[in-house]
Amino acid sequence: MALLLAALGLYLILDAANIAVPGSTNQVGPRFFPYLIGGVVVATGVALAVRVWRGDQGPADESEDVDPDAPTSWREVGIISVAFLAHALLINVVGWPLAVTLMFATVAWALGARGIVRPLIAGGIASVVVWIVFVKALNVALPGGTILEWLTDWF
Amino acid sequence: MGALGDLAEGFSTALTPQNLLFALLGVLLGTAVGVLPGIGPAMTVALLLPVTYVLEPTSAFIMFAGIYYGGMYGGSTTSILLNTPGESSSIMTALEGNKMARAGRGSAALATAALGSFVAGTIATLLLALLAPTVVDLAIGITAADYFAICVLSFVAVATVLGASPLRGLASLGIGLYLGLVGTDVLTGQERFTIGVPQLSDGIDVVVVAVGLFAVGEALYVASRLRRGPVQVMGTSGAWFTGADLRRSWKPWLRGTAFGFPLGAMPAGGAEIPTFLSYATERKLSKHPEEFGKGAIEGVAGPEAANNAAAAGVLVPLLTLGIPTSATAAIILAAFQGYGIQTGPTLLTTESGLVWTLIASLLIGNFMLLVLNLPLVGVWVKLLRIPRPYLYAGILMFASLGSYAVNADPLDLVLLLVIGLLGFFMRRYGWPVAPAVIGLILGPIAETNLRRALAISGGDLSVLVDRWVSRVVLALALLALLGPIVLRLVRGPRATPEELQEAGTLQRPVAAGRDRGDDGAEEDR
Amino acid sequence: MSAGTVVVGYVPGPRGQAALLHGIEECRRRGSRLVVVNTSRGDALVDERFLQGAELRSLEDELAVSGVEAELRRPMRGRDVAEELADVVEETGAELLVIGLRRRSAVGKLLMGSAAQRILLDVPCPILAVKAPPR
Repeated sequence: MALLLAALGLYLILDAANIAVPGSTNQVGPRFFPYLIGGVVVATGVALAVRVWRGDQGPADESEDVDPDAPTSWREVGIISVAFLAHALLINVVGWPLAVTLMFATVAWALGARGIVRPLIAGGIASVVVWIVFVKALNVALPGGTILEWLTDWF
Repeated sequence: MGALGDLAEGFSTALTPQNLLFALLGVLLGTAVGVLPGIGPAMTVALLLPVTYVLEPTSAFIMFAGIYYGGMYGGSTTSILLNTPGESSSIMTALEGNKMARAGRGSAALATAALGSFVAGTIATLLLALLAPTVVDLAIGITAADYFAICVLSFVAVATVLGASPLRGLASLGIGLYLGLVGTDVLTGQERFTIGVPQLSDGIDVVVVAVGLFAVGEALYVASRLRRGPVQVMGTSGAWFTGADLRRSWKPWLRGTAFGFPLGAMPAGGAEIPTFLSYATERKLSKHPEEFGKGAIEGVAGPEAANNAAAAGVLVPLLTLGIPTSATAAIILAAFQGYGIQTGPTLLTTESGLVWTLIASLLIGNFMLLVLNLPLVGVWVKLLRIPRPYLYAGILMFASLGSYAVNADPLDLVLLLVIGLLGFFMRRYGWPVAPAVIGLILGPIAETNLRRALAISGGDLSVLVDRWVSRVVLALALLALLGPIVLRLVRGPRATPEELQEAGTLQRPVAAGRDRGDDGAEEDR
Repeated sequence: MSAGTVVVGYVPGPRGQAALLHGIEECRRRGSRLVVVNTSRGDALVDERFLQGAELRSLEDELAVSGVEAELRRPMRGRDVAEELADVVEETGAELLVIGLRRRSAVGKLLMGSAAQRILLDVPCPILAVKAPPR
């Protein structure tokens, strides 16, 4: 993590050199601040890497629903990430409510909700209600999908 | 017209039936979301920010004011009844408040928290109203170099004060600053770090970053270490708030306000330190020191007042200088930017009506919370029966809603996921998230002022320390950066809440920093 | 095992109390052992049906003075009440299960399904369903 940060700093410094600088500007162009941040980030990254290497473990964040003693379970993180990515790509194809229903059900299932039908129904109801409230009452732009848009056309 | 006249004007706007409705809606939404586990005030505001975009600015900020204070009330309610402080500034409330609830004094604890929050919130908001014009007068004279120095101080303070590890705070800040760089440079129109993706040339939207780091990151993190099992809910039965309680509470309320407001208003702001200080003070001054650790009402009254006073104090630099000193404030600043409102010292003159309406709404919202909160406690606790799988699936649904609604571009959702994963890893390895959000918002402001200062001086760096204001502020920044390191060398690691509370009164040792108190469920299981 | 076992599904409140009282009575009559089960799916931050703190202690006290051989089990494995009860009944070879019923409106039954119904169908032994005494 610390090494990645140092790498980000290096990237900042190296890529900052590629920022086109219009000839007309004075010395302090669009490169200066990135160089500055890049320097700080590299220094922080290296210092942190040294600290971690010496055995300084950061206190993992705690939260009400987190079991601090549990080992990290990557399975749920993976499933949720994939579900969320899929829903992002599906929105413009099948509409927000349906895409979110699938995402909702997958996430709830991954987190241990019982059955398949109940998460699907819960996600379906929640997403359609939210969609109607936000699109019809508040005029937020969210694609509803063909059927839902046709059904609620009379609003 | 003086500040009070302006405030009266603000009230006249805020007291229309429609705007009162928005205030009520904001208060209810803020409390409801603030009560839910895993959602602190910053995440509440981030999740609800897109909702306000569809409203006109005045209504939106009235709603925002309600969400802001409501989120804090929600946090203190769960701290007392469930011993689950959602954020570090509620730890002290949870320590004594939950013990009170355990001893059958739950309603008195809730009452002193609510009344204390109301008193502190009202006094601090009035102080904000009185001070803001003066601060603005002072701020008009500051130069770009001074402004840059103040930004640097905020960066350093936020990175080293929030969270347990200053180095990790700086790391988080650096990530935020990098994210703030992505996009088109405002002064020259050159693209920076857009890796050839056209959508990135507009920069990364603040909503996407905030929602990604807070909501998606939290959901992923919770998913990776899901806690099983319920915690114990304390009843609100027992003796009501009595005269004796009031006599023991009112001084801590005022002292808490005195700690909270100034410390909240400083660039090193935040509510964590004033609540710790208030707790330590009340413990020292109390006539019943033996009750501390067993449910002393002063230990709830003081920190809770300090917490709310700090929340109002944070608004001083935000509204007068455009400097956010907490993650929540950073998101409110983003809301201003979202409406194309120029923040900074000119805000109070250019958007006078809006700012005073916002301040008036804070007072109104505070009053509504006092009236609504106690009767509705049962409703809030019922919300907590939502099974975790559905709760976090629902959070992701709202994250999707908000981020998609900004630009109607699915790419934003992919970006949201990437930033969410970043937030997950930051939590996993103990990096505080708040500095990243502040770096993202404040970074571009700092850069603009730095370059403006250097452009005036013709590139001469000495302009940055030309005036006394910048010299003092930069010296403070250096102090904030080196101070913790020196202190650590001299005194060992920084004091934890438990050290303040004295050893032996806690059943379970807790690590330093932004941790929760002991978990009521554990000992009974 | 010489004597049989009676299992009680316990939830806080009058119906759980009624189930417990009938369970104790049955144990005395049959001379059998009592197993009280109080379970939670454990998937929400708050579950009032799961005993903790003072309520838990008062139930333990009640069992201690009941005069029958009693055991309290509090499984929490993310499973439904019906599954947990069926498990305990099977494991102990119980001769009787006592549960408390509550009144439900027609809509309530439709929306939530009925835990009691699932218990009736899933649990292999005879079941005594009692109602809370009318107030």
